[in-house]
Amino acid sequence: MAPGAVIVARGRCEGSDVLAVADEALAALQRACGGAVPGQLAIPALLELTRKAWHYRMKLARVFQAQDGDNAVSAWVEIVPDDDGLTLALSNWRVTPLATATAADAVASEADEGAMLAQVADLHARLDARQAVLAIGRSNAPLEALGAAMRDGFGRPWTDFVTIPGVAHRQPMHWRLIDGAEVSVDDLAARWQARLVPVPGDGAAAGFDLYLIPVAIEAVPAGDVPATANHAVPEALDGVLGRDLAPALRQPITRIIANAETIRTRLAGPLADEYANYAADIAEAARHLLGLVEDLADLDAIEAPGFAPVPDAIDLADAARRAAGILGVRASERGITVEVPGESEAMAAVGEWRRVLQVLLNLLGNALRYAPEGSQVHLTVARVGERAVVTVADQGAGLSPQQQAKVFDKFERLGRSGDGGSGLGLYISRRLARAMGGDLKVASAPGEGARFTLELPQ
Amino acid sequence: MNNPAFSLPEGPDDNRVVESLFGDELVAADLALANVSPILRHLLGNDDHALFSDRIVAQVRAQIEDLARQLAMSLETALGHPDPREAANQTAPQLAAAFIDSPPILAHAHALALEAQLAERLATRLSLDPVLSPLLQALVASPDPNTAATAMALLAAQARFVQAQRRGELPLAELPGDLLHTALLILRAHGTGGDPARDRIAGVLETAIRSNFDEAANRLGLLHRLVGGMGGGALAALDVGHAGVALFVTALGLGAGLERDAAVLATSEAQLPRLALALLASGAKPAAVEQQFFAFHPEVTLPEGFETLRADRAAALLAGSGN
Repeated sequence: MAPGAVIVARGRCEGSDVLAVADEALAALQRACGGAVPGQLAIPALLELTRKAWHYRMKLARVFQAQDGDNAVSAWVEIVPDDDGLTLALSNWRVTPLATATAADAVASEADEGAMLAQVADLHARLDARQAVLAIGRSNAPLEALGAAMRDGFGRPWTDFVTIPGVAHRQPMHWRLIDGAEVSVDDLAARWQARLVPVPGDGAAAGFDLYLIPVAIEAVPAGDVPATANHAVPEALDGVLGRDLAPALRQPITRIIANAETIRTRLAGPLADEYANYAADIAEAARHLLGLVEDLADLDAIEAPGFAPVPDAIDLADAARRAAGILGVRASERGITVEVPGESEAMAAVGEWRRVLQVLLNLLGNALRYAPEGSQVHLTVARVGERAVVTVADQGAGLSPQQQAKVFDKFERLGRSGDGGSGLGLYISRRLARAMGGDLKVASAPGEGARFTLELPQ
Repeated sequence: MNNPAFSLPEGPDDNRVVESLFGDELVAADLALANVSPILRHLLGNDDHALFSDRIVAQVRAQIEDLARQLAMSLETALGHPDPREAANQTAPQLAAAFIDSPPILAHAHALALEAQLAERLATRLSLDPVLSPLLQALVASPDPNTAATAMALLAAQARFVQAQRRGELPLAELPGDLLHTALLILRAHGTGGDPARDRIAGVLETAIRSNFDEAANRLGLLHRLVGGMGGGALAALDVGHAGVALFVTALGLGAGLERDAAVLATSEAQLPRLALALLASGAKPAAVEQQFFAFHPEVTLPEGFETLRADRAAALLAGSGN
């Protein structure tokens, strides 16, 4: 031992890889990295060092760096090998919050996503950093029993209450690996997709929002589909994507994203930066692919002959405010101000809440994507004759009459590429609007921005 | 260039053996000739004279030969040779040649030579003591007994380093663990000539060297521990005039995520952008970067607008450059 080290934590490894005993600071970091004590050493940089010391049969001493989720941890470790294992002594323990631009972006987009998920989930629960249930936010009809069970069993990992088919790993796993997994509940036939959205908090004690999304949400209820399809689409392809292919594709693609993210964030071990960047590209590409699959599944669902949105009595002003809230982070990233109807305004309409929100998110999302930075987007509601209308007006480049004629066509990108769009959003939105007895229209002149108007019956 | 002197087979039994031997040697000689021009051109035409000056090359060679001699001496002593020094003189050159073929060992010796030379240059120009910098002095006087003890140990190690560099020595115990491991693997492959008795003794020697090694106690270990322990205060070590070369490059490496050897190279003439980026990535303010440039390269002016570069972008640029 060199002079002058104040040991903050000691640990003992069996062999090179298994952390057998650890003081609290080390144990906490080990748990934050997804490991246990005793258990396989899960701190990548430290594991690299213990393996070296074991292999070299030398006393090694280095500064190592790790992440516990929200903080960068650096410490000085001295590793002394003996016949059965390694003794670790850690000092100079430093914790600094991670505040890189990329981490902030990730949190922003995840928060964005959380707001969206909250609208469509059958169950929402708040979890602590170890994925134990803290509180149940909301549970819909089929999952009321599950919600009640979780409420009674709070403090236990959420994975105790559901079954994750095909996963034998010790639960709960790292959230990135389990995010997007399909779960089943008791003996219910339906499946749900579990989504975990990290809650940005101070320090390592942040938790997660758990959302259970019905897997079949995009598919047409089976009873609505006539046994014999009588339209032009060949039978073999009819609804294949929406009903069969999309659910089958979703899982492998989410797995690609999860694994690529694991590589990108170096959870499984240290890695050269260029490879981490490739992983980021893979994750990005897979997200685009997932978006495309979702769009195509939507397309299948709404083009199916029996498609009929549920006519609910809804408030368009409320829908507009919610859509702006969901995309608020993205808007502020681009410096765009979104004007919404005031809290006192209301505009009654008839349509399916989730579908109306989907249309508004699509319109507002386009406006945020293509309008110049620092501009304004206006969401206004009005009554026009027998109809309730909501208008999304931006200050972008606008559309020529020719472009307006094509903009609702399937796969129409107006010459744009590489921005992650599928060319299906507006097509789907108009189909949805018409299926609800309304319409979606555009008015624009080049240089004067575009106004998209969603009309719904009252 | 390191062809062992070839020997002709004894006895006139087969001319073809001789022919093929000459043939092989000729091929090797051709290769060496083919390399002369590019190497010479590189040595003469290189912008950065400091990086490949005769003195640096000699210093690198001396350190590596010293390393080989230490291992050869230990081995011969362990074997009970009556005159281990003489025996080591026989075996060390072959070992040294193998070390020169190992890029990590070569790069480390090169970085140490550059570090020593830089310290010497700054001693002349800035009157900066190569052993005891103002920062180290402050750390030795630290009220925290642990910091003071580490700093004292570093002071002694730094004095030994300066001395060793003057003599062209590189003590085994001063290597980073990875390089000692590499060196021992080379010893295993080259040092024993396949004799089982020598192999066994070499194995025992290797085990002893490994278990006696303590990375925390050598100069590089002490430097990393001291700078790592300064936390946010490590910014103070990013001023070479205050911290001295040894602490400065350690802090630069830790701050910018570079290997310490790479950080040493970044201070050389041809690596100006890397130095600027590494300083920014370590969190130094633009004015401080300019000040450091003035210390290292008084003749250089930084490009206008470099102060707008953010630390994270600087780090990304550095990481992207495949250092």
